[in-house]
Amino acid sequence: MAKITAGVASSHVPLLGVASDQGKDRDDYFGPIFAGYDWTREWIAKPENKPDVVILIYNDHASAFDMSIIPTFAIGCGERYAPADEGWGPRKVPDVEGHPDLAWHIAQSLILDEFDMTIINEMDVDHGLTVPLTMMYDKPDAWPVKVIPLAVNVVTYPPPSGNRCWALGEAIARAVNSFGENLNVQVWGTGGMSHQLQGQRAGLINAEWDNMFLDKLIGDTQDLRHVPHIEYLRETGSEGIEMVMWLIMRGALGKSTKCLHRHYHVPCSNTAIGHIVLEPVDGSVPPSPTLEGNNEAAQAAI
Amino acid sequence: MAGHSDIHEYLADFEDIPGTRVYTAARARKGYHLNQFAMSLMKPENRQRWLADERAYINEWPMTEEQKEAVLARDYNRLLDLGGNIYFLAKVFSTDGLSFVQAVSTMTGMSVEDYQAMMVAGGRSPEGQRSIKGDS
Repeated sequence: MAKITAGVASSHVPLLGVASDQGKDRDDYFGPIFAGYDWTREWIAKPENKPDVVILIYNDHASAFDMSIIPTFAIGCGERYAPADEGWGPRKVPDVEGHPDLAWHIAQSLILDEFDMTIINEMDVDHGLTVPLTMMYDKPDAWPVKVIPLAVNVVTYPPPSGNRCWALGEAIARAVNSFGENLNVQVWGTGGMSHQLQGQRAGLINAEWDNMFLDKLIGDTQDLRHVPHIEYLRETGSEGIEMVMWLIMRGALGKSTKCLHRHYHVPCSNTAIGHIVLEPVDGSVPPSPTLEGNNEAAQAAI
Repeated sequence: MAGHSDIHEYLADFEDIPGTRVYTAARARKGYHLNQFAMSLMKPENRQRWLADERAYINEWPMTEEQKEAVLARDYNRLLDLGGNIYFLAKVFSTDGLSFVQAVSTMTGMSVEDYQAMMVAGGRSPEGQRSIKGDS
């Protein structure tokens, strides 16, 4: 059976990709940021921790999606994804290999759980997805993991609520647990932490709030489900809302978690960098609240 | 929508944040063609045409004259007011060869150097920046 073994969260600032691609990742400015990922790179390379598949929660930044179509939750079920040209040529990093069997299984399970997903078979992936891979794996010739992209709208309001994101994570855990093949699966939440890229208030950073958020990902508290959008906006800047994506990761880890590693640094460009590695302690999630989600015949068909 | 009794209250709160334009449906509608214009600069052939004759290129888009002038003036705060979204506007300043820090600092009234120094010193404090009404 497939199993969620860990959750990872990381900022995905595009400048980190540039720093890595241009070999500046250990200079005075970027060194302290990348040093905070050394522990994780060592941890994730160990055979007992190495994931077969990562479900990578991220947001597209006007790359694959423009204003013509705005899916709230979209899951990539394709074979592979190329790095997007974000206006200055695609990053020279490997293509991202998908896991269509597990992705389609998750998509079907989520829809039966009443999460009406958009299904994507073809798209390019931008820094939101490739920067976290760089942070965890440095510069390999091929990414040593298969990736299921899960894109969340956090650009056009309203984005999904924190509670809905957490519940989606729980539904993802149910889907992974019912997949027949033995797979080590990790869920990564990306984006954040506090940052504002627009207006006179640009540059806002709130280390105290960010660290409260990191604290509450650990253990069995579910307080973060109930943080309203306006609190992210006031406390963490207009782009801090990306942190709701971390709650999908947290929800997928079940009832309680243990922190294996934690890193926080200001600044990277306009942004506070946050990174955390969590392990489920009690990975249990509530049963599906829906009729079809509990229907054995429906479940057997997927 | 934890903490809100209805959608009107939810949206009204967004107008109470100093120096911030939340990208609501109203702004998304107003700025639709502006943002799609910006998006078109993802393609190298469009960037070339844009750089060769900005006015001719922008006139192909069904944008308001005000939006066109704000783009030509690179007035990003004005563009936010007119429905622009920063991730789309990023295509305009990337084409100009500007980084996020360089472009973002132009919206704050600070020089790039002062803005960068503020970031290195820990960023802008949220104190006094949370609410217009509450002034907290």
